[in-house]
Amino acid sequence: MSAPPRRAGRIGSSLLFGLLAVYLLLPIIAVLLYSLATVWRARILPDAFTLDHYVRVFNDPRILGAFGRSFLLASIVTCIDILIVVPAAYWARIRNPRITPLLALGAAIPFALPYVVIAFGIDRLIGEFVPSIQNTLAVLIVAQAAIAFPFFYWAVDGSMAAAGIERLSEAAETCGARPRQIVRRIVFPAIRMGVVTGSVLVFAVSFGEFALAQVLVGSAFETLPLWQADAMLQTTGRFNDLAVTTVLSFVLLFLLAVVLVTWNRGQTVRLLPGATTQKEGRA
Amino acid sequence: MNEAVGTNTPSGGGGVSLREVTKRFGSVRALDDVSLYVQPGELLALLGPSGCGKTTLLRAVAGLEVPDTGHVLIGDRDMSEVPVRSRPIGMVFQHYALFPNLTVRQNIAFPLEVRGVPREQARARVEEMLVLVRLDAQADRYPNQISGGQAQRCALGRALAPSPEVLLLDEPLSALDAVVRVRLRDEIRRVQQMVGITALYVTHDQSEAMAIADRVALMNHGRIEQLAPPSELYEEPRTEFAATFVGSRNAVELPVTGGRVRLPGAFDIAAPSGSNGRAICFFRPEDVEIAEEHGPGLAAWLEMKVYLGSTTRLLLRAEHASGELSLHADAPSRRVQGLDEGSRLTFRVDPAHVRAFPVEASA
Amino acid sequence: MWLPAVPLLLLIAVALVLPALSLVIGSVTEDGQLTLDGWVRVLTRRGDQTAILTSLALATVVATIATLVGTPVAWLLSRMLPVGRATWLALLTVGGNFGGIGLAFAYFAVLGTVGMVTLALQSLGVDFLPPRPSSFEGLVLVYLYTNVPLFVLLTMPAMGALRDEWWEAAQVASATRWQFWRRVGIPVLTPFIVAGWLLIFTWSIGIYGLAYALAGAGAATPTQLITLRIGVILKSDVTETWRANVLAVILMGIAIVSLVTYRAILRRGLRWVT
Repeated sequence: MSAPPRRAGRIGSSLLFGLLAVYLLLPIIAVLLYSLATVWRARILPDAFTLDHYVRVFNDPRILGAFGRSFLLASIVTCIDILIVVPAAYWARIRNPRITPLLALGAAIPFALPYVVIAFGIDRLIGEFVPSIQNTLAVLIVAQAAIAFPFFYWAVDGSMAAAGIERLSEAAETCGARPRQIVRRIVFPAIRMGVVTGSVLVFAVSFGEFALAQVLVGSAFETLPLWQADAMLQTTGRFNDLAVTTVLSFVLLFLLAVVLVTWNRGQTVRLLPGATTQKEGRA
Repeated sequence: MNEAVGTNTPSGGGGVSLREVTKRFGSVRALDDVSLYVQPGELLALLGPSGCGKTTLLRAVAGLEVPDTGHVLIGDRDMSEVPVRSRPIGMVFQHYALFPNLTVRQNIAFPLEVRGVPREQARARVEEMLVLVRLDAQADRYPNQISGGQAQRCALGRALAPSPEVLLLDEPLSALDAVVRVRLRDEIRRVQQMVGITALYVTHDQSEAMAIADRVALMNHGRIEQLAPPSELYEEPRTEFAATFVGSRNAVELPVTGGRVRLPGAFDIAAPSGSNGRAICFFRPEDVEIAEEHGPGLAAWLEMKVYLGSTTRLLLRAEHASGELSLHADAPSRRVQGLDEGSRLTFRVDPAHVRAFPVEASA
Repeated sequence: MWLPAVPLLLLIAVALVLPALSLVIGSVTEDGQLTLDGWVRVLTRRGDQTAILTSLALATVVATIATLVGTPVAWLLSRMLPVGRATWLALLTVGGNFGGIGLAFAYFAVLGTVGMVTLALQSLGVDFLPPRPSSFEGLVLVYLYTNVPLFVLLTMPAMGALRDEWWEAAQVASATRWQFWRRVGIPVLTPFIVAGWLLIFTWSIGIYGLAYALAGAGAATPTQLITLRIGVILKSDVTETWRANVLAVILMGIAIVSLVTYRAILRRGLRWVT
């Protein structure tokens, strides 16, 4: 609103945001402290600090294994989504708009169905028809690619809309460019930002994903979330290690989020499925 | 069949020919059996209101729309099986459609690159284009760093770089400021004539069409209403639609008696053929001759004066046998300086400049 | 005309659509025969009923609080300058993605029996007993951590629907701030806010990992949730998969209803602003 907010309003909003900042940062700080604490009994702050826990974690093959597996899994899933979703999104916009409703519907499913339900369904389906591939990593990869693809699709499709890709494609055609040339020289540069954004989101989803990992593969392929759940529920709570891994994965995701927002330069990212209120195309 | 076919197709040269082209979108007929011949080297403007089919026609020539029936020929070649990218065309879009990741120079070079033109040759051609559209100083800027006028000039350079046979322009000035618009309009015309290329120019602005075109095709509801040079379209509109769309006109509906249509005191002309008791008459503000109160002509009083610079537009009110009439008359400002609002005067119209059309019997 | 999209469409069909169908069919099949027995048994059993109702209640409470807190935040953020907004967006994206086990653990660190805030409040003399992580209140609290940022991120773009010109026009027409909000602002924004509520509701009702970590770790009887029951059955009780199946389909049904409502409301909301 163009009118400057009144004094009380400004104080109110500062208060609100102040509380929000505390609220968001507190758990993170607490976990960080936990990861650095030697002993933490009934006092607000730990008695003493140490890096021992970090050292121990970096030397623990099981944890490193879990971390590595999650990283690998997330990377593979991201690559798959890039390779599969980009052509489909492009084709739906430029050549065959009838694909779009199908993609939109497909993108709504992981949002509507809880991951644990999807996991159950996949497991059941495989159990009935192809029991031989049950509990294999391939199944998990495919499943995660499916549940994460909406984020990628919305990001890429959004960037196509913002660039006015249909108009650019037509112009390139009148310049005599063949389809492959158009894709390489016009489309790819236009969707670069969307692809990066989407990739970051897919990576984050896959890295922290628990339900599918637990149901479809379980301890056969122990990802970091699986290890963390295990660590948490054991009576001999290895809480310090848990804290360290939480901090590490948090840092990873935070860096990715920073990449995301810097690339978008604070613009409102189109995350609301199926809606945008900003004018698409060039002004 | 639509009557707008011009001369016969000559041999060779980049003329554009449409033969009985029809295009439907759902139940709407965007192009209704349209035939048109654009002569080599001429700039033909497609003029009409929104939805008249002019853009569809342009896109059909480009290949971006495929006609349901009919043929599009460029030069002498039928383009039916030819995809967009293989047609000898260059196109300028309303919102420029410059590739945002390429500089001005690279945008212009694009059609040459995709055709595999050798580096040296391409570079020389791009320089030529930059000079032609006067963008040498902005050659290494990106589209988001240049103004609208500069962007459109870049688009023009890009369209002309591969030496196409036909230049297609889709409302190229609509997105620009008024001042830039006029300047660029003349620029486009200058370039088109210099290069001697056949051009199809879509616009909804009739003054733009008149200023720039060799001939104007006035379109309405998917058909060509009239195809003529600007002056002919302006002076001798063939239909009521043409009369109202082009130029500002006064209109008055009058009864037909004894084969003639009369506005007593003002004009007396032969009735148009096919009149059925009433006719609607059009005449332009600049053809109204005004005289002092008891002079020859129909009596009227001055309701309002609008000063337009060298001309003043007078809003007159007159009474005649069939009712009251409101009309505009244009006169040199100096001549009517002393005339006050409320004054009484008389006016006449040269019968040669009155266009009359029969009125449909039903209201 | 379809080739480039085939891999993705195939993925969607195989990994999403078919499993969903399989579950639906499975919930009404027993030993190869169509029957609603499974449904009857689930809907009449106390434990399952509790789970269903608790899940609904939890999602409702979480969505409502997230909406109440998130709406002013989203509004203020949409008005912020891009620089400040970027920082907040980063913070919120982190909050929105910090979920699962790590978050459950963080809860302990903050609000556990010896958590930071607990100790701080107690040292200030406040007789504060933190909600048990597996209790309803505890779940609400933890769910909110991810869901408030999520709500803000999802609805913030929609806040841009309210144009400055409308407020200016209202001012010129001598309307007060409150009148503007009542007659223009709120009606225009409400569909998007409600849409946000529905999204959070749908998301919350399906949360598994976080609930798993919280519920399993606390003492006494954990709160019953549909997702947890499904998980428990899948992991340990092979004979009860039919029950998990029905519960899964119930969950699906709730989510679909919610999403369809979401689409309808969104469409209505967009009608006024596009």
